[in-house]
Amino acid sequence: MSVRKFLIIVGIAFWVLVLRLFHLQLIEGKKLFQLSQANSIRIQKLKGARGRIFDRNGTVLVDNTFSYDLVVYPQQIDNPDDFLKKLSSVLGIPFGDLRLRFQKEIGSSALPKALVKALDKDKAIILEELKFKLPSVAIQTNPKRYYPYGRLASHLLGYLSSIDYWRLNMWQDYGYSSQDTVGFGGIEERYDYYLKPQDGGIQLEVDNRGRIRRILGFKLPSPGKDIYLTIDARIQKIAEEALGDYTGAVVIMEPFTGEIMAMASSPNFSPFDCSYNPSILKNMLSETEAPLINRAISGVYPPGSVFKPVVAVAGLENKRIDKKTTFFCEGSLKIGNRQFGCWEKHGAQNLFWAIVHSCDVFFYKVGLSLGADKLSEYALKFGLGKATYVDLPEEKIGFVPHPLLRKKEKRQSWFEGDTANFSIGQGELLSTPLQIVRMISVFANKGKLVRPYVVKSIGNKDISSKQRKIISLPIEESILNTINQAMEAVVSSPEGTAHILNIDGLSIAGKTGTAQVSKKQPHAWFAGFFPVENPRYSICVLLEHAGSSTNACLVAKKIIERIKEESLL
Amino acid sequence: MKNYHFRIFLISILISILGVLTIYSVRYPSNVWIPFPLYIRQIIWIFLGLISLLFMYRWDARKLWDIAYIIYAITLILLIMVDILGHIRLGAQRWLKILWFNFQPSELAKLTSIIVLARYFSYRSFKDIRSRNLGFIKAIVIPLLIILPFMFLILAQPDLGTSLMLFFIYLSLVYFSGVKRRYIFIFILILIFISPLLWHFLKDYQKERLLVFVNPDKDPLGAGYTMLQSKIAIGSGRLLGKGWLGGTQGQLRFLPEAHTDFIFSSFSEEWGFLGSLVLLWLYYFLIYYGIKISLSVDEQFVRLLGLGIVALFFIQIFINISMTLGMAPVVGLPLIFFSYGGSSILVSFLSVGILMNIHKKR
Repeated sequence: MSVRKFLIIVGIAFWVLVLRLFHLQLIEGKKLFQLSQANSIRIQKLKGARGRIFDRNGTVLVDNTFSYDLVVYPQQIDNPDDFLKKLSSVLGIPFGDLRLRFQKEIGSSALPKALVKALDKDKAIILEELKFKLPSVAIQTNPKRYYPYGRLASHLLGYLSSIDYWRLNMWQDYGYSSQDTVGFGGIEERYDYYLKPQDGGIQLEVDNRGRIRRILGFKLPSPGKDIYLTIDARIQKIAEEALGDYTGAVVIMEPFTGEIMAMASSPNFSPFDCSYNPSILKNMLSETEAPLINRAISGVYPPGSVFKPVVAVAGLENKRIDKKTTFFCEGSLKIGNRQFGCWEKHGAQNLFWAIVHSCDVFFYKVGLSLGADKLSEYALKFGLGKATYVDLPEEKIGFVPHPLLRKKEKRQSWFEGDTANFSIGQGELLSTPLQIVRMISVFANKGKLVRPYVVKSIGNKDISSKQRKIISLPIEESILNTINQAMEAVVSSPEGTAHILNIDGLSIAGKTGTAQVSKKQPHAWFAGFFPVENPRYSICVLLEHAGSSTNACLVAKKIIERIKEESLL
Repeated sequence: MKNYHFRIFLISILISILGVLTIYSVRYPSNVWIPFPLYIRQIIWIFLGLISLLFMYRWDARKLWDIAYIIYAITLILLIMVDILGHIRLGAQRWLKILWFNFQPSELAKLTSIIVLARYFSYRSFKDIRSRNLGFIKAIVIPLLIILPFMFLILAQPDLGTSLMLFFIYLSLVYFSGVKRRYIFIFILILIFISPLLWHFLKDYQKERLLVFVNPDKDPLGAGYTMLQSKIAIGSGRLLGKGWLGGTQGQLRFLPEAHTDFIFSSFSEEWGFLGSLVLLWLYYFLIYYGIKISLSVDEQFVRLLGLGIVALFFIQIFINISMTLGMAPVVGLPLIFFSYGGSSILVSFLSVGILMNIHKKR
């Protein structure tokens, strides 16, 4: 019978296990027990280096150097005072300090421990030379992050810190433990799994006086994987310098693929200090300006007039207006019993001039004829109010209002005035600079909503094809062309709101925005793309509370001029 | 008949309690406070497991005959989802995030394979008593084709251990279903001839592990490290062990995977030879009662279902413990009811639920 045979096999198998256990635990038990005793086994950790981070051209943005720790083998010290005196004379650290540290950190520990962290390189070398006089110490080298460009791209890169309980809780299934150092923010966090090195170590058997008898196990540390970004360090630098002291963000993207070429946020921070100086990190976390926040993806702002091209598409597609439709701007429009102002008396305006002048009255009328539902639909269609799924942590999704949503969540009614505000990108509509650059790219790439991304390859593996996700929006090319012509005139026409940005020999299309906020200076926006004939870059500049949109245009101008000068076009 | 279903229930609970104690001990001196440490998570999983066990016990395992192929399709979809989502996250990805917890569909695939093959080998309905007299194609090839998609998807994760486990399930069900011994023999011969070809499909690290298995001294510094640590842990337990919370290999992190695949080493270090004997004894009776239950029914489907589950238990237990004892390659299989890991716990309890139900409704 087949089952009986199976039972016999099971019986034999269990006897095999028992015999093997008997052999290991009772015959070899004594030997293996001695090996396992903490005072005869030592582990010296060998830390691996995290993966490095490069830009698209192979310029290294985050590198590794070494720091040196003085490690003490407590079991090998016969006379601690004598030993510490010798050490103090070499290191130049007062004897009292060293002794206090020794008692606190090491005591009678069986395992080797670090007594002094981050030694100077010279002293590390001296100690290494004195090894035969001080046999109970060793120099342990630890890889450490090095940022050749200082603060450049700090938000994109992120910093390192000890794992917190929240992350540990989430990641422990993936092999993280409480002793790990992990990335916080940016690439360091999002790609930590790949950047993380595998630590190695030497396991030693020592005799009862702590002398090494033999090596039991050795595991080489292996470095984490290198990561290559889509960022161009040169453009990143240009963007950050142009942003200067403003609080705000700049995003530059390749409009057809979604590769982010530069993403700057200001104020920024020093990743090195945040990683290795806890007090600086603490200051950063409590500062009111919130320098650790990446405003390009985590800051939400009303888009203001930058949203108007989307309203124009909605108006044209739904045949509410055509190229020739003219509305008359008297400087304000009465809706209900409230006056909704325009920033100037524009007179008769067709779509072209309404975009060039950024006439609010024209767009109030378009918006009112469309209705809030349609505005909401188009805002979502152009990627507002939802995640772009950029491969960075802490992305905010902003907000797209809808009458029903307001009814449901706040139990308040929607008024015509809300529709009017919505049609000029004011009111409850909120977006991140990244969403805006993606929105404006739809005009540059003929109707494609791209997923922005910052990592091109991991190790040697090109992941671009997995990163790219492109949604086609079925918008007629003629509609896009109409709006693009107007957006080009925003810059080229002397009457355009961004004429200050006009650069000889380069055609730029774009739209300015001045987003009103209560009680403070408005936010300044510029969003556009260039060159118009063959767009290579989409750009979005946002300056928090900077007043007029002219300031955003000036920042954009600095960037575009230098991109042109350094022939990166 | 004796109350086997109660005994098998008791044994599985006892083993999982020992497992929780061991997980607690291995992770014991944790210097970071976390809201849900692993042993608490394991307890939650055990409770979820018990709920699914109760559900299975109250239901009717015979109804699995009707929905076998539906379960098969669902499992296949889940595995494909892991593959796709795994590609998005770029790497070894065995989990699916369902609500707030991670689930490993490859664990479910083990049980599904048993159900589907038991269904295949029971002819017209679950009431079939006789086994069928099948030809080589129908007895060997078609069942293999049924589980091959699972095997490939799991191999792609990459998870060699579970993939091989499915193959063992297949072999044992073919064996139990009364296929002509001649066919099985021929099939194994064919396998031996094509195995050099299969070698090429293995990833480098899997080849390395198998090579180290053949000759552990070949690479004592690299891949043999884990095995050596495991042997030191077990051996140092000696007769009575170092006592609960007394283990050093696991707690000081000398032993990798001390709470998952190598949990037996951690247990054995602390509870010694006698403790390990008790655990082995519990496992033996889990299998023994499982066989008794399977033999107490006549219907081909239900009996194959029971025997398949028992075979799955046995192979997993044997390979895992052999591995920790340095007698099998390090393939990465959990010790059922014992290792940390929600999916394994859940599926194991579900399987016990099926066994209990079979016995209740016999």
